[in-house]
Amino acid sequence: MAARSMGRRLKPSGGYELFMWYFMRISGLALVFLAVGHLFIMHILNNVETINYAFVASRWTAPRTGWIWRLWDVSLISLAVIHGFNGLREILYEYLTSGGRIIAGTLTWALTFLFIGAGAYSILMFQPDEAHIKAHPLKIEKTTDPMSGSLELDPHLNVDVRC
Amino acid sequence: MSQTLRAPQAYQGGRISRIIDGLRYGGGLGQWSWLAHRLSGLGILFFLVIHISDTFMVVFAPDWYDHTVAIYGGIWFNGQYYWPLRWAFRVAELGLIASVVFHAVNGVGVILYDLWPKGSLYRKPILAVVQVIFWGIMLVTTPIVLYPLRKAPDKMADVQADAPVTPIIDPVIK
Repeated sequence: MAARSMGRRLKPSGGYELFMWYFMRISGLALVFLAVGHLFIMHILNNVETINYAFVASRWTAPRTGWIWRLWDVSLISLAVIHGFNGLREILYEYLTSGGRIIAGTLTWALTFLFIGAGAYSILMFQPDEAHIKAHPLKIEKTTDPMSGSLELDPHLNVDVRC
Repeated sequence: MSQTLRAPQAYQGGRISRIIDGLRYGGGLGQWSWLAHRLSGLGILFFLVIHISDTFMVVFAPDWYDHTVAIYGGIWFNGQYYWPLRWAFRVAELGLIASVVFHAVNGVGVILYDLWPKGSLYRKPILAVVQVIFWGIMLVTTPIVLYPLRKAPDKMADVQADAPVTPIIDPVIK
Protein backbone atom coordinates (compact mmCIF):
# COMPACT_ATOMS: atom_id res chain seq x y z
CA MET A 1 0.00 0.00 0.00
CA ALA A 2 1.70 3.11 -1.20
CA ALA A 3 -0.12 5.43 1.15
CA ARG A 4 0.98 3.46 4.15
CA SER A 5 4.59 2.94 3.20
CA MET A 6 5.20 6.47 1.96
CA GLY A 7 2.96 8.60 4.11
CA ARG A 8 5.11 8.88 7.20
CA ARG A 9 8.26 10.44 5.84
CA LEU A 10 7.51 14.11 5.88
CA LYS A 11 9.67 16.76 4.32
CA PRO A 12 9.02 20.10 6.00
CA SER A 13 7.32 22.57 3.72
CA GLY A 14 9.56 25.52 4.39
CA GLY A 15 11.38 27.85 6.73
CA TYR A 16 13.57 26.81 9.62
CA GLU A 17 12.53 23.15 9.64
CA LEU A 18 13.21 22.75 5.91
CA PHE A 19 16.59 24.43 6.35
CA MET A 20 17.48 21.98 9.13
CA TRP A 21 16.14 19.11 7.00
CA TYR A 22 18.66 19.98 4.29
CA PHE A 23 21.35 20.69 6.89
CA MET A 24 20.95 17.17 8.35
CA ARG A 25 21.52 15.60 4.93
CA ILE A 26 24.42 17.80 3.82
CA SER A 27 26.23 17.69 7.17
CA GLY A 28 25.51 13.96 7.26
CA LEU A 29 27.40 13.44 4.02
CA ALA A 30 30.34 15.47 5.35
CA LEU A 31 30.26 13.55 8.63
CA VAL A 32 30.45 10.21 6.85
CA PHE A 33 33.92 11.30 5.78
CA LEU A 34 34.92 13.25 8.93
CA ALA A 35 33.55 10.98 11.66
CA VAL A 36 34.24 7.61 10.05
CA GLY A 37 37.72 8.87 9.11
CA HIS A 38 38.33 10.02 12.68
CA LEU A 39 37.23 6.65 14.06
CA PHE A 40 39.38 4.81 11.53
CA ILE A 41 42.46 6.82 12.47
CA MET A 42 41.91 6.57 16.23
CA HIS A 43 40.60 3.02 16.62
CA ILE A 44 42.03 1.07 13.69
CA LEU A 45 45.28 2.77 12.65
CA ASN A 46 46.00 3.71 16.26
CA ASN A 47 44.61 2.32 19.47
CA VAL A 48 42.80 3.94 22.39
CA GLU A 49 45.39 2.51 24.77
CA THR A 50 48.23 4.38 23.08
CA ILE A 51 46.42 7.72 23.04
CA ASN A 52 47.59 10.16 25.68
CA TYR A 53 48.34 13.85 26.06
CA ALA A 54 51.58 13.54 24.10
CA PHE A 55 49.69 11.92 21.25
CA VAL A 56 47.15 14.76 21.10
CA ALA A 57 49.93 17.34 21.31
CA SER A 58 51.96 15.72 18.55
CA ARG A 59 48.92 15.57 16.34
CA TRP A 60 47.78 19.16 16.80
CA THR A 61 51.22 20.77 16.83
CA ALA A 62 52.88 18.73 14.07
CA PRO A 63 54.86 21.20 11.97
CA ARG A 64 53.32 20.58 8.57
CA THR A 65 50.12 18.70 9.26
CA GLY A 66 48.96 20.07 12.62
CA TRP A 67 46.61 22.67 11.16
CA ILE A 68 44.93 20.01 9.02
CA TRP A 69 44.06 17.92 12.08
CA ARG A 70 42.86 20.98 14.00
CA LEU A 71 40.70 22.01 11.03
CA TRP A 72 39.41 18.45 10.70
CA ASP A 73 38.54 18.25 14.40
CA VAL A 74 36.87 21.68 14.55
CA SER A 75 34.76 20.85 11.48
CA LEU A 76 33.91 17.45 12.91
CA ILE A 77 32.87 18.87 16.28
CA SER A 78 30.83 21.73 14.85
CA LEU A 79 28.92 19.63 12.34
CA ALA A 80 28.49 16.66 14.68
CA VAL A 81 27.22 18.72 17.61
CA ILE A 82 24.69 20.64 15.49
CA HIS A 83 23.66 17.42 13.70
CA GLY A 84 23.35 15.49 16.96
CA PHE A 85 21.47 18.05 19.01
CA ASN A 86 19.19 18.88 16.09
CA GLY A 87 18.42 15.17 15.82
CA LEU A 88 17.64 15.10 19.53
CA ARG A 89 15.43 18.17 19.09
CA GLU A 90 13.53 16.52 16.23
CA ILE A 91 12.95 13.41 18.31
CA LEU A 92 11.79 15.47 21.30
CA TYR A 93 9.44 17.49 19.08
CA GLU A 94 7.62 14.30 18.17
CA TYR A 95 6.76 13.70 21.80
CA LEU A 96 6.17 17.29 22.91
CA THR A 97 3.63 19.99 22.20
CA SER A 98 3.98 23.76 22.01
CA GLY A 99 5.33 24.69 25.45
CA GLY A 100 7.60 21.67 25.71
CA ARG A 101 8.91 22.30 22.22
CA ILE A 102 10.00 25.81 23.14
CA ILE A 103 11.89 24.46 26.16
CA ALA A 104 13.42 21.56 24.20
CA GLY A 105 14.43 23.78 21.30
CA THR A 106 16.02 26.36 23.58
CA LEU A 107 17.88 23.73 25.62
CA THR A 108 19.24 21.80 22.65
CA TRP A 109 20.48 24.97 20.95
CA ALA A 110 22.05 26.20 24.18
CA LEU A 111 23.86 22.87 24.58
CA THR A 112 24.88 23.02 20.91
CA PHE A 113 26.65 26.35 21.41
CA LEU A 114 28.12 25.24 24.74
CA PHE A 115 29.72 22.09 23.31
CA ILE A 116 30.91 23.71 20.09
CA GLY A 117 32.46 26.41 22.24
CA ALA A 118 34.16 23.92 24.55
CA GLY A 119 35.38 21.77 21.67
CA ALA A 120 36.64 24.64 19.53
CA TYR A 121 38.31 26.21 22.59
CA SER A 122 40.26 23.04 23.41
CA ILE A 123 41.32 22.50 19.79
CA LEU A 124 42.24 26.05 18.82
CA MET A 125 43.61 27.30 22.16
CA PHE A 126 45.76 24.21 22.72
CA GLN A 127 49.36 24.92 23.76
CA PRO A 128 51.58 21.88 24.37
CA ASP A 129 52.85 21.44 27.92
CA GLU A 130 56.44 20.42 27.15
CA ALA A 131 57.28 19.39 30.72
CA HIS A 132 54.32 17.04 30.85
CA ILE A 133 55.16 15.55 27.46
CA LYS A 134 58.74 14.94 28.59
CA ALA A 135 57.50 13.12 31.70
CA HIS A 136 54.81 11.16 29.82
CA PRO A 137 55.99 10.57 26.25
CA LEU A 138 54.23 8.92 23.37
CA LYS A 139 53.25 5.31 23.81
CA ILE A 140 53.34 4.29 20.15
CA GLU A 141 56.36 2.48 18.79
CA LYS A 142 59.22 4.48 17.41
CA THR A 143 59.03 4.33 13.66
CA THR A 144 62.02 3.47 11.54
CA ASP A 145 60.64 5.48 8.67
CA PRO A 146 63.65 7.34 7.18
CA MET A 147 61.33 10.18 6.18
CA SER A 148 60.86 11.19 9.81
CA GLY A 149 64.43 12.24 10.38
CA SER A 150 63.85 14.58 13.31
CA LEU A 151 62.43 11.75 15.39
CA GLU A 152 65.38 11.36 17.71
CA LEU A 153 65.56 15.07 18.44
CA ASP A 154 61.92 15.70 19.01
CA PRO A 155 59.99 12.48 19.41
CA HIS A 156 56.63 14.02 20.25
CA LEU A 157 56.51 16.00 17.04
CA ASN A 158 56.38 13.05 14.71
CA VAL A 159 53.29 10.94 14.96
CA ASP A 160 51.96 12.38 11.77
CA VAL A 161 53.61 9.38 10.18
CA ARG A 162 50.79 7.31 11.64
CA CYS A 163 47.80 9.56 11.70
CA MET B 1 -23.08 -11.25 30.89
CA SER B 2 -22.49 -7.63 31.51
CA GLN B 3 -19.42 -5.74 30.44
CA THR B 4 -18.27 -2.32 31.46
CA LEU B 5 -17.58 -0.16 28.48
CA ARG B 6 -14.46 1.93 28.53
CA ALA B 7 -12.38 3.78 26.01
CA PRO B 8 -9.57 1.67 24.51
CA GLN B 9 -6.13 2.60 25.79
CA ALA B 10 -4.85 3.53 22.37
CA TYR B 11 -7.35 6.32 21.92
CA GLN B 12 -6.48 8.19 25.08
CA GLY B 13 -3.66 10.14 23.52
CA GLY B 14 -1.55 10.33 26.63
CA ARG B 15 2.22 10.38 26.85
CA ILE B 16 2.56 6.57 26.83
CA SER B 17 0.42 6.07 23.77
CA ARG B 18 2.28 8.82 21.98
CA ILE B 19 5.58 7.06 22.71
CA ILE B 20 4.18 3.74 21.50
CA ASP B 21 2.80 5.46 18.43
CA GLY B 22 6.19 7.01 17.82
CA LEU B 23 7.71 3.54 17.75
CA ARG B 24 5.18 2.34 15.16
CA TYR B 25 6.50 3.40 11.80
CA GLY B 26 5.97 1.28 8.75
CA GLY B 27 6.88 -2.27 9.69
CA GLY B 28 9.60 -4.57 8.43
CA LEU B 29 13.22 -3.70 7.75
CA GLY B 30 12.29 -0.06 7.24
CA GLN B 31 10.94 0.27 10.76
CA TRP B 32 13.91 -1.43 12.37
CA SER B 33 16.39 0.62 10.36
CA TRP B 34 14.55 3.75 11.41
CA LEU B 35 14.62 2.70 15.07
CA ALA B 36 18.29 1.67 14.89
CA HIS B 37 19.12 4.96 13.17
CA ARG B 38 17.42 6.88 15.97
CA LEU B 39 18.96 4.87 18.82
CA SER B 40 22.46 4.88 17.31
CA GLY B 41 22.16 8.64 16.81
CA LEU B 42 21.23 9.17 20.46
CA GLY B 43 24.06 6.89 21.55
CA ILE B 44 26.61 8.75 19.42
CA LEU B 45 25.37 12.09 20.79
CA PHE B 46 25.79 10.77 24.35
CA PHE B 47 29.35 9.68 23.55
CA LEU B 48 30.09 12.96 21.78
CA VAL B 49 29.15 14.97 24.87
CA ILE B 50 31.47 12.82 27.01
CA HIS B 51 34.24 12.96 24.42
CA ILE B 52 34.18 16.77 24.10
CA SER B 53 34.22 17.05 27.89
CA ASP B 54 37.21 14.75 28.38
CA THR B 55 39.18 16.34 25.54
CA PHE B 56 38.49 19.75 27.10
CA MET B 57 40.98 18.72 29.80
CA VAL B 58 43.91 18.97 27.39
CA VAL B 59 43.86 22.76 27.67
CA PHE B 60 44.01 23.03 31.44
CA ALA B 61 44.93 19.68 33.02
CA PRO B 62 47.17 17.31 31.01
CA ASP B 63 47.42 15.02 34.05
CA TRP B 64 43.65 14.63 34.30
CA TYR B 65 43.49 13.95 30.58
CA ASP B 66 46.09 11.18 30.76
CA HIS B 67 44.38 9.59 33.75
CA THR B 68 40.97 9.75 32.09
CA VAL B 69 42.17 8.20 28.84
CA ALA B 70 44.03 5.55 30.84
CA ILE B 71 40.68 4.46 32.31
CA TYR B 72 39.58 3.53 28.78
CA GLY B 73 42.54 1.13 28.75
CA GLY B 74 41.58 -0.36 32.11
CA ILE B 75 43.87 1.60 34.43
CA TRP B 76 42.07 3.18 37.37
CA PHE B 77 43.16 6.42 39.05
CA ASN B 78 45.36 4.54 41.52
CA GLY B 79 47.45 3.14 38.68
CA GLN B 80 46.00 -0.33 39.14
CA TYR B 81 45.03 -2.33 36.07
CA TYR B 82 41.58 -3.94 36.16
CA TRP B 83 40.88 -6.18 33.19
CA PRO B 84 37.04 -6.02 33.41
CA LEU B 85 37.32 -2.24 33.08
CA ARG B 86 39.37 -2.62 29.92
CA TRP B 87 37.06 -5.26 28.50
CA ALA B 88 33.99 -3.13 29.21
CA PHE B 89 35.48 -0.12 27.45
CA ARG B 90 36.59 -2.27 24.49
CA VAL B 91 33.10 -3.65 24.01
CA ALA B 92 31.65 -0.15 24.37
CA GLU B 93 34.19 1.05 21.80
CA LEU B 94 32.97 -1.62 19.42
CA GLY B 95 29.40 -0.49 20.11
CA LEU B 96 30.38 3.09 19.30
CA ILE B 97 32.03 2.01 16.05
CA ALA B 98 28.98 -0.07 15.11
CA SER B 99 26.68 2.86 15.89
CA VAL B 100 28.68 5.31 13.80
CA VAL B 101 29.06 2.88 10.89
CA PHE B 102 25.36 2.02 10.88
CA HIS B 103 24.29 5.64 11.25
CA ALA B 104 26.61 6.63 8.39
CA VAL B 105 25.64 3.85 5.99
CA ASN B 106 21.94 4.06 6.74
CA GLY B 107 22.14 7.86 6.61
CA VAL B 108 23.46 7.66 3.06
CA GLY B 109 20.54 5.36 2.34
CA VAL B 110 18.12 7.95 3.74
CA ILE B 111 19.75 10.67 1.62
CA LEU B 112 19.35 8.50 -1.49
CA TYR B 113 15.72 7.87 -0.60
CA ASP B 114 14.99 11.54 -0.01
CA LEU B 115 17.08 13.34 -2.63
CA TRP B 116 17.61 10.86 -5.49
CA PRO B 117 14.55 11.22 -7.76
CA LYS B 118 14.20 7.44 -8.10
CA GLY B 119 15.09 6.79 -4.46
CA SER B 120 11.59 6.03 -3.30
CA LEU B 121 11.26 3.33 -5.97
CA TYR B 122 14.30 1.54 -4.55
CA ARG B 123 13.52 1.81 -0.83
CA LYS B 124 13.80 -1.92 -0.12
CA PRO B 125 16.94 -2.60 -2.19
CA ILE B 126 18.59 0.38 -0.51
CA LEU B 127 17.76 -1.03 2.92
CA ALA B 128 19.13 -4.41 1.93
CA VAL B 129 22.37 -2.91 0.59
CA VAL B 130 22.72 -0.92 3.83
CA GLN B 131 22.56 -4.18 5.78
CA VAL B 132 25.15 -5.85 3.55
CA ILE B 133 27.60 -2.94 3.79
CA PHE B 134 27.11 -2.53 7.55
CA TRP B 135 27.64 -6.21 8.37
CA GLY B 136 30.53 -6.41 5.92
CA ILE B 137 32.34 -3.56 7.65
CA MET B 138 31.61 -4.92 11.13
CA LEU B 139 32.81 -8.39 10.15
CA VAL B 140 36.23 -6.89 9.38
CA THR B 141 36.27 -4.35 12.21
CA THR B 142 35.19 -6.52 15.15
CA PRO B 143 38.26 -8.81 15.18
CA ILE B 144 40.58 -5.81 14.80
CA VAL B 145 39.04 -4.03 17.78
CA LEU B 146 38.81 -7.10 20.02
CA TYR B 147 42.17 -8.66 19.08
CA PRO B 148 44.27 -6.69 21.63
CA LEU B 149 42.16 -8.17 24.46
CA ARG B 150 43.87 -11.53 24.00
CA LYS B 151 46.61 -10.43 26.38
CA ALA B 152 47.21 -7.79 29.00
CA PRO B 153 48.57 -4.51 27.66
CA ASP B 154 52.35 -4.21 27.94
CA LYS B 155 52.60 -0.46 27.65
CA MET B 156 50.77 0.82 30.68
CA ALA B 157 53.85 1.94 32.54
CA ASP B 158 53.48 5.60 31.68
CA VAL B 159 50.39 6.72 33.49
CA GLN B 160 51.12 5.37 36.91
CA ALA B 161 54.49 7.14 36.99
CA ASP B 162 53.01 9.90 39.10
CA ALA B 163 50.17 7.91 40.63
CA PRO B 164 50.61 7.48 44.37
CA VAL B 165 50.05 3.81 45.11
CA THR B 166 50.86 0.19 44.21
CA PRO B 167 52.70 -1.17 41.22
CA ILE B 168 50.65 -2.69 38.46
CA ILE B 169 49.52 -6.22 39.14
CA ASP B 170 48.16 -8.09 36.20
CA PRO B 171 45.18 -10.18 37.22
CA VAL B 172 44.39 -11.50 33.76
CA ILE B 173 46.68 -14.19 32.52
CA LYS B 174 50.08 -15.61 33.43
